[in-house]
Amino acid sequence: MKLTKRKKIGFALLVVGVLIIALALSQYYKPHIDVYNANPDIITNATDLLYEYENDEELANKKFLDKIIQVNGQISKVEASENNDIILTIKNQKDGFGTVICNLSTKENKKLINLKEGQIVSVKGICTGYLMDVILVRCNVVNN
Amino acid sequence: MKYILSVLVCFLLINNLKAQERYLTKQGTISFFSHSPVEDIEAINNQVLSIVDLETGDVAISILMKSFMFEKSLMQEHFNENYVESDKFPKAKFKGKILDAENLENKSKVSIEGDLTIHGITKKVKVEAAIEIDKDSVVLKGVFTVLVADYEIKIPSVVKNNIAKTIEITFSLNHKKIK
Repeated sequence: MKLTKRKKIGFALLVVGVLIIALALSQYYKPHIDVYNANPDIITNATDLLYEYENDEELANKKFLDKIIQVNGQISKVEASENNDIILTIKNQKDGFGTVICNLSTKENKKLINLKEGQIVSVKGICTGYLMDVILVRCNVVNN
Repeated sequence: MKYILSVLVCFLLINNLKAQERYLTKQGTISFFSHSPVEDIEAINNQVLSIVDLETGDVAISILMKSFMFEKSLMQEHFNENYVESDKFPKAKFKGKILDAENLENKSKVSIEGDLTIHGITKKVKVEAAIEIDKDSVVLKGVFTVLVADYEIKIPSVVKNNIAKTIEITFSLNHKKIK
């Protein structure tokens, strides 16, 4: 069967239309960054990270914001957030006021039992900035 | 010399007393909600830093815009990159006072008035809040609305119908006494 020119054009338009819709939908439902499987952009420790933020917040923001950062350090507090996710506070080893606060993703909840004050950990998460403390979100514990 | 010393001691004592009336949280919650015929958008921030001083009624709140978590990553991207421009304006702040801050222990509702800064724009706001004071905690909770246009946040006309002109903001701040 021979397709008429009109049918061919119609068919092509349909394909293009479906592709555009598929692309739009995949954008709309695009998943969040999977921190768990991603390689860290920067590996550092809590004390150095805090030092950089306390020294020059703007510069540190340029370097760390939205990046996946792996922070090594000692846990000073284990808490639960209002929606029951774990919040780890990692100590500044020098005398400093600030800490690194890591909000673990819900997936990590079962690790709670292995997390204790004083323990050395490595936490990977996305840096959202600095208030009194450096804040990391969507974190996961790398080794414990 | 003795006089100076005693003044100094008094001053320290007063300072200490005042310091005891300060309460802090680093894990407060602020969420916002936008309702439109096309879609509802909600985001939650669990890392709110808030300090309240019961002595003076001062309230200071700081949040990171990038700490708002959205259900869809595209919404979060648009929020940060196009609307609040969080690389340029990483924080939102509120600095204000509890009005009529006497006998707060006996009150369950307070008005808080102050300056709210979002997207680099500062506006006066007055917010009603429920207050709950315990031995070592102060809980402030409430809901208020802000106009997107007030903070010079530009919404492209293509998505005009997806985003409400008035955003509802809910806060829940459970402060603990600073020791």
